[in-house]
Amino acid sequence: MDEVDLKHIFFEKFDGRKILRCIQCGTCSASCPLTDQMDYAPRELFALIRDGEMITALRSNTLWYCVSCYYCIVRCPQEIPVTDLIYALKQMAVQQGLCPACHKLPDMYHSFTRVVAQYGRVNETVLMARYALRHPVDALGNLPMALRMFLKRRLDLFPSRLRQPDRIARLLAEAKRQETP
Amino acid sequence: MRYGFYSGCSYRSAAGYSESVDAVSRALGIELMEIPDWNCCGATAFFSVDEFKALILAARNLALAQAHGLDEIVTICNACYTTFRKAIKVLTGNPQKLARVNEVLATEGLSIERTIAVRHLLDVLYNDVAEEVWFEKRPQNLKDYTVAGYYGCQLTRPWGDLDVPEHPGILERFLERLGFVTVEHSAKTLCCGAFHSISYADECRPLISRIVSEIQFKGADLITAVCPMCQFNLDAGQQMFGLAPLPVPFFTQLAGIALGLKAADLGLKKLLIPIKGF
Repeated sequence: MDEVDLKHIFFEKFDGRKILRCIQCGTCSASCPLTDQMDYAPRELFALIRDGEMITALRSNTLWYCVSCYYCIVRCPQEIPVTDLIYALKQMAVQQGLCPACHKLPDMYHSFTRVVAQYGRVNETVLMARYALRHPVDALGNLPMALRMFLKRRLDLFPSRLRQPDRIARLLAEAKRQETP
Repeated sequence: MRYGFYSGCSYRSAAGYSESVDAVSRALGIELMEIPDWNCCGATAFFSVDEFKALILAARNLALAQAHGLDEIVTICNACYTTFRKAIKVLTGNPQKLARVNEVLATEGLSIERTIAVRHLLDVLYNDVAEEVWFEKRPQNLKDYTVAGYYGCQLTRPWGDLDVPEHPGILERFLERLGFVTVEHSAKTLCCGAFHSISYADECRPLISRIVSEIQFKGADLITAVCPMCQFNLDAGQQMFGLAPLPVPFFTQLAGIALGLKAADLGLKKLLIPIKGF
């Protein structure tokens, strides 16, 4: 898919047209807690997209450093739903296979959604175990804290689940069926 | 007083949150009816990757609550609070989406029928409990503790109605009503890094450090949290990064202390950084 098509999808399917209201004031970038880590701060990301540089935008680490604090949304003088548009770009990046392997958050989301599909609820121990399979170094770093949590009787070793946990998997499957055109 | 209660996934392992919520609600005669068979609200993970699934996960809980006659849900977590309120906003603004969500929920015999209110427990304790109740058994020494309120990011933005997004004050007013001294500071609604603290620990370190050092600089002895994720990041983060250390009790633990409840019933031993005197 070329950049023109990608821009069209972002604008029409995901409401991305709202970035045309952006006045490049940089309030979003200045409010973002992780802006220092981003290759393109939110203001720059929108400028890229307006220039048609969709592939660069979709590969940007900005999408994955966004921590959903929503500060940009409440402060944007043009009332652009910045976080929600970044969610749209995340979804597009995943669909287009454009999220680089070096970003760890897609793996965390993947582990999270799998745990919810399996148990209906999130259990930190199971979630960390799943995530550890993909990022063992992070998991090792967290082991001393996990041990302290265990000693404080805060580690839930027996996942709380629904009466019929497969209900959630079935609902999510039904959602997917409805979404597929 | 009776409310629907959505505890959420992080509640059980949070440091004394469930203990103190139980003890305080019992003492105040507040009945928190857990939504039977609730599921994960979807948090930001689902909204980030699939809005429709995110709406369904949130909506199932709302529909379950309504099926049990509950039209007001109380949450104890910023992420659950904002996720539900966001889902409600999206669904009430878009009847087509609501119809599609209800179609999926119908496979389980559920549907969203009416409007439903989602509130944070801080709202309930501050607005629904008479002020005098807090004065009855209040210990005399609470003025010895200077507390910084930490709201975290998602509570006041952009779907919350608890207070203003930039510089809220409800938590300080609540703490002062309890008898504590509070401090004003600039880190009230700064983000703690939330879930990113696991995948991007190094990158989140400056966020936690900024919050803790600002609060320490303004002279607080304690930081109080209203969300399991914030509490964990500030409590564990200080230990991991060698900061302050300032204890980070939940607001319900401080409410329990003000009500003269026993420390053992408030789960205070589960805090990684203990409060002196408890």
